Amino acid sequence: MKSINIKKFAVVAVLLAFVGSAFTPAPERITVKGSDTMVILAQKWAEVYMQNNPNTAIQVTGGGSGTGISALINGATEIANSSRKMKPTEREKLKARYNTLGIEVACAKDGITVYLHPSNKIKELTVKQLGDIFRGEITNWKEVGGADQNIKLYGRENSSGTYVFFQENVVKGDYAPSCQTLPGTAAVVNAVKKDPNAIGYGGAAYAEGIEICKVKKDDNSPAYVASAETIKSNQYPITRYLFMYLRNKPTGAMKSYIDWILSPEGQKLVVETGYFPVK
Amino acid sequence: MKKIFLIVFVFISVFTQTVKAQEIDLKEKVTEINDVVTGISERLAIAESDLSKLTKIKVSGYMQAQYQYFENPSIQPNNYFSLRRARVKFTYEMTDGVKFVLTPEFVPGSLSVKDAYVVLNDRWSKAFSIWAGKFNRPNYEVEYSSSSREMAERSTVIRTLYPGERAIGAKLEYNPINVPFHFQLALLNGADGIIINNTSGTNLNTTENKDFDNYKDIMVRTTYNLQLGNFGGLDFGAHGYFGSLKSNALKTLSSDYTTIEDVKFGDAVKRTWVGGEFQFFADLLGGMSIKGEYIAGKNASIGYSPVAAAGTTAAIPGVANFQNNFAGYYLYFIKNLGKKNQFAFRYDYYDPNTDITGKDVTIVKYTSADATTLKSRTSSKSDLATSTFGLALHHYFDDNLRISLDYQIVQNEKVGSVGILTEDYTKADGTKVLKGLDYGKVVNQNLLTLRIQAKF
Repeated sequence: MKSINIKKFAVVAVLLAFVGSAFTPAPERITVKGSDTMVILAQKWAEVYMQNNPNTAIQVTGGGSGTGISALINGATEIANSSRKMKPTEREKLKARYNTLGIEVACAKDGITVYLHPSNKIKELTVKQLGDIFRGEITNWKEVGGADQNIKLYGRENSSGTYVFFQENVVKGDYAPSCQTLPGTAAVVNAVKKDPNAIGYGGAAYAEGIEICKVKKDDNSPAYVASAETIKSNQYPITRYLFMYLRNKPTGAMKSYIDWILSPEGQKLVVETGYFPVK
Repeated sequence: MKKIFLIVFVFISVFTQTVKAQEIDLKEKVTEINDVVTGISERLAIAESDLSKLTKIKVSGYMQAQYQYFENPSIQPNNYFSLRRARVKFTYEMTDGVKFVLTPEFVPGSLSVKDAYVVLNDRWSKAFSIWAGKFNRPNYEVEYSSSSREMAERSTVIRTLYPGERAIGAKLEYNPINVPFHFQLALLNGADGIIINNTSGTNLNTTENKDFDNYKDIMVRTTYNLQLGNFGGLDFGAHGYFGSLKSNALKTLSSDYTTIEDVKFGDAVKRTWVGGEFQFFADLLGGMSIKGEYIAGKNASIGYSPVAAAGTTAAIPGVANFQNNFAGYYLYFIKNLGKKNQFAFRYDYYDPNTDITGKDVTIVKYTSADATTLKSRTSSKSDLATSTFGLALHHYFDDNLRISLDYQIVQNEKVGSVGILTEDYTKADGTKVLKGLDYGKVVNQNLLTLRIQAKF
């Protein structure tokens, strides 16, 4: 008799648990993948948002803009972070698989920062000089007014949006074969810190313990460092948007999260992380 | 005192010698370690160099295994398993701007080359590229990969005009970086997938690795992508084919069967057509698209006129060249259902001879006649229009694995009088039609395909 009661109780408990679970909202899971430049920012967004919305789980990983967009196309992520625009070939793949062109959300602005070793007496360069340096046409610091030392180049891997943006807007050609590619902006900053003859590039948020090189549009323009004012006024010449790409128009938890990122609260974290707000 | 001094001197000498020996030992060790590190660095550099060569080679491919059921009882066997496609694509990017592509196809009983081309990109503006080799002809449905296509096969008009999809030749592409405009201009042999008979009626075009005449065909395609904000986009464009084939016959029959003109061996038999296309994409409760294309023009098949034996004047039976005015189109509706499922519908119409309607067609299988009586060739079921309703459901297990259920309902244009086919017949797109079919009514040619596709 007792055992029957236990069985009945177990059955009722399981049923109640099943019914109860049906009414308990299931945690919403959002995966974010892509740009290494945006990892710190994306993690900060996720962390703060999850504190206020415990029912939403957000998982953030890097890998590079190209990797994030590939993951969006093959269904492995819901949001692809990208520090460059989606390429037409990537859009065609999205069209073929999902019959959409994707949704582009500009969520922050960044000034690509040029890193130098603090001992380097060069403090400013023009965009053209930077292009010549990274194409390997200027190989010695003395050619731009520095010491008689060979220039050591550090950059990102080709899956990086920063690599692509810097190539299209500054290098305007192929990177010099001697340019050492490193996985992540933090690695570029570390390499430049250790090498007095080094030069590297990356997101503004990572520029710690190194000299930030001022950049001039051309010989006759003033030199600027990336700052909220110089980026907002388009004075800093290597400015870009940071994007989030989605397959479809966001709904539910995803829409709430995107709306929050674009809200003053989300944009405040952009500034705190070292980037610049979109508005 | 002297003794003490001597002892101290000996002790210092021994100590100095020991320290020196240790220093030498240490230096040797440092040198040794340096050598090891240098060796490792060199090997790492070699390994990195080898690895960077390997990263220039990309391998992708897909395989489609299927089961098909033909509702037409005259097709025997009427159901079977087959391997529709099994391709591996090797892409080698030698340097930035130079790409080699080779795609062999492995289907039981045959090994063929689908793609084999080199692409040279302009390294300055990055907008121009030159292609040379065997590649897809410039057309939307042709260039749209079979692994992504929403129907099991391409529409009838495309299969008829572009058999095998690829052609040998050279192509110039213009894709400006910041403008969504695309332009392709191709110069092709124009013989790919076409039957070219010799004077005895034997098809010479079996290897298709070179041209059979001096006429080169021109293909042009241009498209523009219009983005409609976050709602979707509209791509539209046009393409044209302007080609000729060398006549192996002394007569050319017109599309309406009323006129036959004299031609010479080697004269150009024109094949020209133009088409317009659009693809509309919208984000309405998930992705959806509507795609369509209309093509019309004049196609041709080459006949042959055997040469009379020396010293004889007897007319020898041959086949006239035939130029047919045609029209065809297709319209797709595709809807994604969540992330894993997709539904597609296609209506596809092809009229191989717009000058003849069904009621004018007399089903008489053309028999090769004397060169002087070629005019007696009559219109046949090869002139009948076909419309096909296609339905397909796809389920994506993941990005690599797709299972598809595809059903094609085929309707033929009916002939005015009862016409029972007395001989087997091969249509222009290569499909076989068996004798005994009555085209006075709709001949059941419906087809069910269950296909699984693995892609990597």
